[in-house]
Amino acid sequence: MTQPTLALRSVSKSFGMTAALTDMTLELHPGEVHAIVGENGAGKSTMIKIMTGIYQPDTGGVEIDGTPVLLQGSKAARLRGVAAVYQEPMVFPDLDVTENIFISATGSLWLNKSAMRRAAIDLIAKIGMRLDVDRMASGLTLAEQQAVEIARALSQNVRVLIMDEPTASLSAHEAAELRRVARALADQGVAVVYISHRLEEIFQLADRVSVIRDGRHISTRLVTATTPQLMISEMVGRDVGNYFSKMQSTATQDVLLSVRNLGLAGIFEGIAFDLHRGEVFCMAGLIGARRTDVALAIFGITPANAGTIRYKGKHLHAKSPSDAMAAGIAYVCEDRRKLGLAMELPIRWNITLATLSRYLSRLGLVNTQAERHTAADFRKRLNIRTPDAEIPVGKLSGGNQQKVMLSKWLNMNPDLLIVDEPTRGIDIGAKAEVHDLIRQFAAQGGAVLVISSDLPEVLALGDRILVMREGIQMAILDHADASQERIMALATGQEKAA
Amino acid sequence: MKSRLYSWEGLLLVTFLIIFAFNTITQPQFLTVSNQINMFQLSIEKLIVVLVMAFIIINAEIDLSVGSMMGLSACAFGWSFQHGLDPALAIVLCLAIGAAGGALNGFFVAYMGLPSLVVTLATLIGFRGLARVMVEDRGITNFPDWFDAIGQQGFIGPVPFALVCFVIMFAVAWIVLEHSGFGRKTYVIGSNRHVADFAGIHVRRHKLIIFTLAGVVSAFAGLLYAARVGAVRGDVANGFELDIITIVLLGGASIFGGSGTLVGTGLAILIVLNLRNGMSLHNVTGHLQTGVIGILLIASVLGPRLQWPRRLGAARQR
Repeated sequence: MTQPTLALRSVSKSFGMTAALTDMTLELHPGEVHAIVGENGAGKSTMIKIMTGIYQPDTGGVEIDGTPVLLQGSKAARLRGVAAVYQEPMVFPDLDVTENIFISATGSLWLNKSAMRRAAIDLIAKIGMRLDVDRMASGLTLAEQQAVEIARALSQNVRVLIMDEPTASLSAHEAAELRRVARALADQGVAVVYISHRLEEIFQLADRVSVIRDGRHISTRLVTATTPQLMISEMVGRDVGNYFSKMQSTATQDVLLSVRNLGLAGIFEGIAFDLHRGEVFCMAGLIGARRTDVALAIFGITPANAGTIRYKGKHLHAKSPSDAMAAGIAYVCEDRRKLGLAMELPIRWNITLATLSRYLSRLGLVNTQAERHTAADFRKRLNIRTPDAEIPVGKLSGGNQQKVMLSKWLNMNPDLLIVDEPTRGIDIGAKAEVHDLIRQFAAQGGAVLVISSDLPEVLALGDRILVMREGIQMAILDHADASQERIMALATGQEKAA
Repeated sequence: MKSRLYSWEGLLLVTFLIIFAFNTITQPQFLTVSNQINMFQLSIEKLIVVLVMAFIIINAEIDLSVGSMMGLSACAFGWSFQHGLDPALAIVLCLAIGAAGGALNGFFVAYMGLPSLVVTLATLIGFRGLARVMVEDRGITNFPDWFDAIGQQGFIGPVPFALVCFVIMFAVAWIVLEHSGFGRKTYVIGSNRHVADFAGIHVRRHKLIIFTLAGVVSAFAGLLYAARVGAVRGDVANGFELDIITIVLLGGASIFGGSGTLVGTGLAILIVLNLRNGMSLHNVTGHLQTGVIGILLIASVLGPRLQWPRRLGAARQR
């Protein structure tokens, strides 16, 4: 075996009383794609932060090329060739692609713009992307922004590239593109660390996979020597059934929401579907299919300007979220950080946010006793893992944040629950829990509209599936007629709208 | 319990106690009723506006026009009085001007989506301009005795009316900010207004209310100032907004919104007052006093961001 480019040797790290990593050992070899899987809170982020010099280990150490090193800060790590690319890339919207790639050089007095531009073109070519280096970063797609970040890392002679859930927000096509880039980098001798919750892509891409759980290293295996079932059982520490099996439909004939010819000029048009009580109805499509815009129209954020919405048999035209909420519609948005949760405020505050008026006395004072009761109730019901409900919600892992967001809306007792990318970036255990919640909600007579880019999820949840493409409704498939291939064919326009 | 001791409020409390103890030991006249009342009385109008400024800043906005509004209100009172308007009616008029001016700020910020820094910088100039136009460069004095008495005599025993108002308003502000639905919404909007929007909170209306309230309270404080000094001029309360914002920031509110408490604000008030009073008793000049307060602000803004007091940093950084 070759000398590992980077190795963790018995690394432990605690925060106060909580041990985030215990005796963690891991070797990254040049030219390999090394996948790391584990539930949220398993210690993956702490591990990345130690590799990139943001945290220092309490005990144990980091070796680069077999030599122990002290990585003090991310700059020190970058100088040694360790860089990370995150799910939400760091780009400067008002700079162009070239300037973004050479951002650390923009501090120097003399900039040779044309040389930088040529180098940027080379780097973009090296990762096999097609991207105009003169474009402003503000107009780039997420995938393109990630490419810029990777090119930036390459410009600094990266030897270990950590990709933290890079495909979580990408469409299937973009994700495939990114995996190709990761493979190309590995072929050039870079050690690629690939963190993902999408097990199927790990099997497509990785050479080796390490499972971590509760801050400990559980196993490292060749991908060819493991199975999804084995990985999942190691991740959760118990045997699990098939997570993505379709559950029994509970759909009734009772129409709750009826949308006809709904449109918003220049965004989407001609959307028409019925949603029944007890039904889970999915909207599938690529990024840019405008599925979220349909949800925002129903919820009253950006009302539609064509077509009709009937809800509980009555005409509904929500002009603001409070109109929609008064009618019993809840919308769990896709972007937890920007739109979903007030990250630095307590969990309890976030849970009661949409229902605050229920907790107010006649004088307008908040009944904290009742609030605590609600928070404790949801913490138990949804299995939110936290020491208490008074800490900022931003301190929780993604899966637990998602559960807090769901709690906020379930507390409203809505009739219609719209959930937008409900399991993006959360681990497989939490995913299954969220799916169960959605199913339970429908079984109790509610209707659910799920927007998801995760095809296995769409197939596992949807009683019926509406496929959209660029603002147009392509088809509504019954579960029996739906397959990943069929949905993709419609979403990419290979199969024409009926 | 440990986290409370390490919190920003904890540090403010310790700082206050040190200054208080130092003043008590070194200056026998410090801990007298008259000096204590005098200490508050000298900046009581600012302290009242500090209370609404805390709401504004926690809401992730800023209002630079409060000093000008205090001046405008005081001058409008002087002008109305000079033109023979009944003083009681003039007071109502001034409060109405405060509401209108505050609502104007709120309208541009909440409904037109302009940054409050820009809007209130414009009204800072505008309100001040109006005040100067009204009274030009003469002073207006000789208000009715009852009006001057409000500002200059004891209301409950030796405690003047303005201080009684401040104490009551502090209690109300504390209950509203930390225990009411309105206060909760103030924090949430300040932390992330989109989250508030998506949760069905009327963000625009909330901001309009807060700015209107700031206008009314500033106008009220301007009237108190006129009563205490017994005269108005075009430059009344000039530059007060900076002292007011300073105290709120020292109290631990983040300029980015979403954090800060009224307890912290109250402690910041006590620190600034005691520091100034102690220095005055030691015959430190006014300019030097301002310098010391300035250093305090720099320390309060930068301190938590430095690496050294890590826990404080964690407590304050967003």
